[in-house]
Amino acid sequence: MIKELLIVLLLLAGCFFFLAGTLGLLRFPDLFSRLHALTNADNLGLGFIAAGMALYIASPWTSVKIFLIWILTLLSSATSSYLIARFQRGQDKSKNRREE
Amino acid sequence: MDILIDILLALLSVYLAFRCMLAPKLSKAVFVFFAFGLTLALAWIRLGAVDVAIAEAAIASGFMGVLLLDSLRDFSLTFSKNHNVIEVKPNNSVEVKNRSELFPKIGLGIGLLLFLLISLEAVWNIPEGGGLTALAGSKISESGVEHPVTAVLLNYRAYDTWLEIGVILMGLLAIFAAGGIKQYRKAGITPSQDPILRQAILIFIPVLFLFGAFLLYFGKMGPGGAFQAAVMWGAIGILLHLGGWPVFTEIPRRLRLLMLTAGLGFFLFLGLIFMTTGGALFEYPPAYAGLLILMIETFGAVSIAAALTAIFAFLTK
Repeated sequence: MIKELLIVLLLLAGCFFFLAGTLGLLRFPDLFSRLHALTNADNLGLGFIAAGMALYIASPWTSVKIFLIWILTLLSSATSSYLIARFQRGQDKSKNRREE
Repeated sequence: MDILIDILLALLSVYLAFRCMLAPKLSKAVFVFFAFGLTLALAWIRLGAVDVAIAEAAIASGFMGVLLLDSLRDFSLTFSKNHNVIEVKPNNSVEVKNRSELFPKIGLGIGLLLFLLISLEAVWNIPEGGGLTALAGSKISESGVEHPVTAVLLNYRAYDTWLEIGVILMGLLAIFAAGGIKQYRKAGITPSQDPILRQAILIFIPVLFLFGAFLLYFGKMGPGGAFQAAVMWGAIGILLHLGGWPVFTEIPRRLRLLMLTAGLGFFLFLGLIFMTTGGALFEYPPAYAGLLILMIETFGAVSIAAALTAIFAFLTK
């Protein structure tokens, strides 16, 4: 009973972060704050959902796999966010230089 | 609950397909295409076809999407460079272009209609009792593998798979004929000099290699196999290439061509050996079938991975 409650709580927390991230992605004004919202969804949202699923499946081997999936997603989302931000910063810089 | 998810998936994939076609901007179409591919992969999982789902997610959505994204970047680079030239063009040349586009549109329409009719026919006439499923299952002990899909692809219908590898090679030949080596002339630091990107690529490469090898071997007993493994290994080449290490183009030309043709060649070589020993083209002796299939899949995966990398390295204007 307590386990089920915990699973539901974890999944709900994950859904909340996904919702918040999506809302931020749609509503935030510029690229950097949007990226910030997106990383929330990726890292925390997926993390909570992965934790909930691992608890639900309750097999140690599958839990390790789910954990690995989360780690890989963290790595790729962090790298791609960094690359997008770097590209945008490079563009801003060259635009400023042109305006000067 | 399940039916809710299924209905949602079905609606979502059709909606995304329309959004992809009707997107006002090319970049938007590409991103919707990614999402569309993922919903299709989920739909395949819901249908119980995990093999197709992996192939769909990896090749159709992942590889095609990245290829489209890459060409979108090239396209926007050339477009912004030639922007003035395009604007100067007189209006009547555009009209001529519109008229000449009518014929391909009619052809495409007829083709799609035929395809729709054929698929409707195929759905209507699903054979009673599952068709050849029972037959495929009963011979599985002789096929050398335990997974029915792999048995069909690499034993019962090896001819199809052999030709599929050939089709990829044919496409690549066209790219070789039309393209050249892609050059990155962008100012500033190259991607390989960026510490974070370099580290991320170095972390991902062993993971991709290991996972590809796992999929290759696992194809014997479950969903997986040469094509899925090839995408993982091809992703290594593509990552290296986009990260600024053009490794593939620096391999000696002969070795590169050998890598590209190894899958098709080894497959054909084995088939010819079977023929000379009195069997049919791809009739493996049951005792060695498992080992031979694994060898064919390994060579095939290397070839397809090399082809996928080559498409990236050589597809350019």
